Amino acid sequence: MKKKPVILLLLLILATGWIRFDQPIHKPRPVNFVIPKGWPKPQYDFSKNPLTEEGIALGKKLFYDERLSRDGTISCGSCHQQFGAFATYDHPLSHGYDNSLTTRNAPGLFNLAWQKEFMWDGGINHLDLQPLAPITAMNEMAETLPSVIHKLQSDKTYRQLCKAAFGDENMNTRRLGMALSQFVLQLVSSNSKYDRVMRGEDHFILPEQLGYAIFQKKCESCHKEPLFTDFSYRNVDIPLDPFLKDIGRMRITNDRGDSLKFKVPSLRNVAMTFPYGHDGRFFSLQSVLEHYRNIHGNDPQTDSLLRNGLPLSNFEIGQLKAFLYTLTDSSFLKDPRFAAPGMLFNGKPPADIHQ
Amino acid sequence: MKRITPIVIFAVFFFPGFVMPSYSQSYPVRNITVHFHNRIGNTPLELGKQVTNILGNEITIERFRYYVSHFSVVTSDNRTIPLPEACFLIDEEDSSSRTIRLSIPDIPITGIRFLLGVDSLKNVSGTQTGALDPLQGMFWTWNTGYIMAKLEGSSPEAQTAGHRFTYHIGGFRKGMETARNISIPFQQTVTQLTTLHILADINQWFTGKSILRISETPICHSPGALAVRIADNYQRQFSLLSLQ
Repeated sequence: MKKKPVILLLLLILATGWIRFDQPIHKPRPVNFVIPKGWPKPQYDFSKNPLTEEGIALGKKLFYDERLSRDGTISCGSCHQQFGAFATYDHPLSHGYDNSLTTRNAPGLFNLAWQKEFMWDGGINHLDLQPLAPITAMNEMAETLPSVIHKLQSDKTYRQLCKAAFGDENMNTRRLGMALSQFVLQLVSSNSKYDRVMRGEDHFILPEQLGYAIFQKKCESCHKEPLFTDFSYRNVDIPLDPFLKDIGRMRITNDRGDSLKFKVPSLRNVAMTFPYGHDGRFFSLQSVLEHYRNIHGNDPQTDSLLRNGLPLSNFEIGQLKAFLYTLTDSSFLKDPRFAAPGMLFNGKPPADIHQ
Repeated sequence: MKRITPIVIFAVFFFPGFVMPSYSQSYPVRNITVHFHNRIGNTPLELGKQVTNILGNEITIERFRYYVSHFSVVTSDNRTIPLPEACFLIDEEDSSSRTIRLSIPDIPITGIRFLLGVDSLKNVSGTQTGALDPLQGMFWTWNTGYIMAKLEGSSPEAQTAGHRFTYHIGGFRKGMETARNISIPFQQTVTQLTTLHILADINQWFTGKSILRISETPICHSPGALAVRIADNYQRQFSLLSLQ
């Protein structure tokens, strides 16, 4: 009888020991990356940066944190707006630090796991490194990396989030990029009407069906399904802008043959990512298609597939547009997992979208 | 046999020689220090101080930085033994960075080799840490890649704002490589090495392989032919000053 309380006490000590032992070993909860059926293998190496709920949460906080910019007014999300498929809605160029403008149209952010190179000229070779460009560009967030890292290291919340995601509080450039990658890799857009039709869950109406046939005949060779880009760089006969003087891919390769080549953009969510073109010079799908059908192919630098122009009748343009609208993924545009903190969703851009 | 099998398995999988393929198992280790002495000809580099370079131009250097990595030692029978992978940023502004510590095999050696710059693999593998952290200011964000070496300053020769010249030399893609293999022969077989003093002569940037005139090309800010030309020059900047 006397032994019982002793045993109980010992058990209690053991139990408290177990609790104390268990607390510091908090493991981040892994997240599985789902590849939509029939899609190719992603380019991103998830084994080097395993997705976790904590990593994604840290990435999301960073994505929407204006303190990543020099004057604390611009976040990644300022120019990559969810209602615009994470492009800058209705802006040919985006607004940067101190009344500056970018020199290129902000691309929509989705399906980045399948992308090997980033920027219109493909100059950046790893998703984790991509955020460093806008953070440090003087016409974007205009910050320095040491200053950003200092701000994050001085912030208790970030230190805690960093520990939860990566095991210790040491917030550095590498983890900044890895966490942001974890968040933006979640931005998978694969649930448009087109996708539902392909899965046999929906049907195209006649103009969409006819437009899809035209698309497959005239657009598919560059805007390859299911990602709607082949990730190549092409000169589509857009003349050099005399102010921007942007030579595109040639800036990276120094190869004259790459002059005025830009990455083929995905057409997913294309109805939401206007204006179009690397510098946003086309304000509507109509103006893009007008450009294509008016190419005369006199320039030997123009892509060989467009050398003879891209004949399109008014009738065909109407059908093509009907098809392109089926690429809008409204569940992606409204997905609360990606929403800016405090954003209420009614599925529409805010009334005052100009900032 | 039955008794031996597990021992063999144990030996194969757990014997350190199999687990850690490194020189340290075969040789005892020696710790040495390597000092980099940046100079212009015979004049020790002093940031902000005007000097005359080998071409007779008055120059004032404000910044001089370069990466060194992939160290190896050359044995007396002319084998090259790589040291554990490490990368160092030598920065004239930070005097402590000019002394690095290496662990070498404690055997007679006839020279040391290293890479001036960062290997191509590290240019394509996402974000690195430590000396290679992009916040060190030796990284191009818009066209991914490390700046292998940078030399900045001013000269009346430079027809630019503030008469500034800036040479940021980088590039790892085929045909644009700017990392350079450096070999420092000792001209003798050395045992029990403790200290190496290596000279980096900035004059070689201007005359190493071809003439670089500040008046003609005061700026290099991207990978390409000019960067490769300057890299061919700085490849010759290193020589052995002394050893103990």
